[in-house]
Amino acid sequence: MTKKLISIIAVAALSVSAFAAHHGGKKALEIEFPPPFLIGTPVQVNLPHLEAPGTPRPTIMVPEGTTNLADGKEVTSSDDFPIIGGLDYITDGDKESEEGYFVELAPGTQWIQLDLESTSTIYGVAIWHFHTQKRAYHDVIVQISDDDSFESGVTTVFNNDHDNSSGFGKGTDKAYLETNEGKLVDAKASKGRYVRIYGAGNTSNEMNHFVEVEVFGTQ
Amino acid sequence: MNNPSDSTTSVGRRQFLKTSALASGGILLAPSIMKAQSSPNGKINLAILGYGKQGEVLTTSMLEIENPPFHIVAVCDIWKNSIGKCRSALRKVSPELKWYFDCEELIAAKDELDLDAVIIATPDFWHARHTNACLKAGLHVYCEKMMAKTPDEARSMVHTAKETGQLLQIGHQRRSNPRYLHAYYNLTKRAELMGRFTTANGQWNRSAKPFREVNPRIAVEQDVLEKNGFENMEQFLNWRWFRDLSGGPISDLGSHQIDIFNWFFDALPKSVMASGGHDYYPDRQWYDNVMAIYEYDTPNGPARAFYQTLATTGAGGGYYEYFMGDQGALRMSENPAFTKMYREASAPSWDDWASKGFIRKEEAAEAKVQTKVDVRESAPPDAYEIPIVLDKKPHTPHLENFFAAIKDSNVKLNSDGEHTFKSEMAIFRVNEAVAARKTLEFTKEDFEV
Repeated sequence: MTKKLISIIAVAALSVSAFAAHHGGKKALEIEFPPPFLIGTPVQVNLPHLEAPGTPRPTIMVPEGTTNLADGKEVTSSDDFPIIGGLDYITDGDKESEEGYFVELAPGTQWIQLDLESTSTIYGVAIWHFHTQKRAYHDVIVQISDDDSFESGVTTVFNNDHDNSSGFGKGTDKAYLETNEGKLVDAKASKGRYVRIYGAGNTSNEMNHFVEVEVFGTQ
Repeated sequence: MNNPSDSTTSVGRRQFLKTSALASGGILLAPSIMKAQSSPNGKINLAILGYGKQGEVLTTSMLEIENPPFHIVAVCDIWKNSIGKCRSALRKVSPELKWYFDCEELIAAKDELDLDAVIIATPDFWHARHTNACLKAGLHVYCEKMMAKTPDEARSMVHTAKETGQLLQIGHQRRSNPRYLHAYYNLTKRAELMGRFTTANGQWNRSAKPFREVNPRIAVEQDVLEKNGFENMEQFLNWRWFRDLSGGPISDLGSHQIDIFNWFFDALPKSVMASGGHDYYPDRQWYDNVMAIYEYDTPNGPARAFYQTLATTGAGGGYYEYFMGDQGALRMSENPAFTKMYREASAPSWDDWASKGFIRKEEAAEAKVQTKVDVRESAPPDAYEIPIVLDKKPHTPHLENFFAAIKDSNVKLNSDGEHTFKSEMAIFRVNEAVAARKTLEFTKEDFEV
């Protein structure tokens, strides 16, 4: 276990650094991934808008100084008292998906919200819901705002609620299978202090889970 | 083999299904006399004691029961993480679920909870203490197998059940599986398709895998671990591999299938020899690979059975119990894909039984081209399928049998404490035989309660 912890710490430390060849004063954002560890019994995933497994991540060009602004930041949620895990798990740098690494939120449409503590320019949002079983989470919606109530000035940077079942408008983004690589969303240099992520259960059960969220940007 | 047209054995498809249902505890036949339950809604108020992997399996099995005759009112586990998982699983059906971290606290609250029964899925070395305490508190008990860590502990559970008059079902769920019931009552006993059983073999192999770990931040407090018999979190998470806590893989997996040997042979073994070792995991306390050979005196003559559990490979053709008789063979498994019957070429035709729906003939495979044939080779047997497929989780019928027995005194448990104790004695002595490196004879006293 000690060896494993050191490994996790190393991964977390690396994950906040963006490194790649320079390109027009910017460089491509890269993310460190936890090791793959599939143990759960696969459940058939039948979604009309599921993207093909192996679809490449978007290449997001970021300026020097881009860091994971979410690291250690406070997380709030529509479910104030998660039964399994804690909201602090989401920004603790541990991206493994086994017991003790994920928080489970109540069924139905739920959200988590990260407070970056000041208005930031956000280039990318990386999300790991749960990756010990192949599954897809429903109605993943990523929004950015300076309003902590998300009633005004909201920018939606990702929405795969294809049938508007969560009521925030029909999204055109694809559903995706969870893997150890998570999901990298291009935030297109949107500005805001808060990042809110919605979900509405998954293809295996009604629950909402989050292992980790990283928000790459500058302040 | 019996003739299906004999008046005493002539049963149509509807009749044999009914027979299976009766054998399984009358689950499919609505009981006419229902015991009054203490809860106002007439449901059995139920607690889950131990919500590890097996507690989770049993709970999800219970959740698929339509119009459940029970209501889960409480869960007890020493690990907060397990309590959370149970609360999560039961959010909808038991929003008022109570939880406890100590079995004594659960039992102390039995009147407040209006508790009728408890499902025990704690580690083996706790089974006897938990079961005896719950039975003495007036609760019916469904306890996971193995019954206990030692034969004497298992005996104490049988004694307590008798003294208290409470029900004690042990989690050998194959005993309630309709395919197994059909194979035993209809194919083996009624139709006698396999003739005289002479041998059996069985196995359950699992791939090598490291010890389970969790994030240390959710670990059980050290003082709680020690109070409950665990040295540390590693023991708690992997208790099946520790000698003070369990009987190892032969106890975990072999217990299911050796019990089926005893059931289908209608006998208890007279001897066991076994070999096992720390072949792959030198640091683990229990044997990772175990092979055992039993000798039986069945009502139809001598028989012997071989069983292996290998914790180092998932190969070997799945998990099954394979019975061979002089007229046919029967390979049983919880997985229908591993289930098959074979008729010896010299045996009477099975066509009538197939036409009545007892069995289904498999389409003949195209003969394989073989350039050299051993002229002494027996003709290949015809293959048949057993047309009974369980459309529920494997544990569900056994739990239904338990609930039916609570509700209706006419319903018998399919794996009651006393019969299970005798069957499990065959398993208790395997590790002893491995250590002794010689054949051990069972005595009459071994099986006495």
